[in-house]
Amino acid sequence: MFMKLLLPHRWKNIGWTVLGVGVLLSVAPFLFHTDLNLTAPVFAMVHDPVLGKTGYFSVVRTDISFTLTGVLFLTGALLVAFSKEKNEDEYISSLRLSSLLWAVLVNYLLLLFAFLFIYGIDFLMVMTYNMFTVLLIFIIRFNYVMLRNKSLPHEK
Amino acid sequence: MKNKIKIERAVHSFTQDELAQKIHVSRQTIHAIEAGKYVPSTVLALRMARLFQKPVEEIFELEQEDL
Repeated sequence: MFMKLLLPHRWKNIGWTVLGVGVLLSVAPFLFHTDLNLTAPVFAMVHDPVLGKTGYFSVVRTDISFTLTGVLFLTGALLVAFSKEKNEDEYISSLRLSSLLWAVLVNYLLLLFAFLFIYGIDFLMVMTYNMFTVLLIFIIRFNYVMLRNKSLPHEK
Repeated sequence: MKNKIKIERAVHSFTQDELAQKIHVSRQTIHAIEAGKYVPSTVLALRMARLFQKPVEEIFELEQEDL
């Protein structure tokens, strides 16, 4: 049942590429001390500017750098996380499922920690990162478990 | 659950890779089953039994803690 949600293996490499571009674009402004500063007209179901009235279902011109990096990151990460391994079988599916449980648990333990010890504006940063961490922790955990399994000695 | 996969594999002189290919799973799966880290599905257990031409009960055995 779990396997039905997975894409063919070839999507995994496409996912890594998209994810890589997303990560590069989100890290670049910190490295080069510049903003991407991309503005474009977008269709917004809700648009709530700092100054002014909230708009609904309208086209607005806004900074899309966060949208772009976020969409690239999420698309890439989803493709990586939801693509089959080359030899996906029942054992690998069980590793996938346990990695997902592990990731959700670790993610929420980290969030709980942040809830208790981080206050003020910085908590907004925690919330921003937390949107991506479940997928990220899952990808890291699953690939680590797979790597550990692949490096097992060949036994006669 | 105990299993005799490793013994059966030796009897038929299959490597882990060869056995994996014959029953359409990854080598990691065979390794995990032999190490007792993973209990295969009924389908996989039956596939192994068919390959080794033995009833499933002769390859897989319940332990006290499974009862």
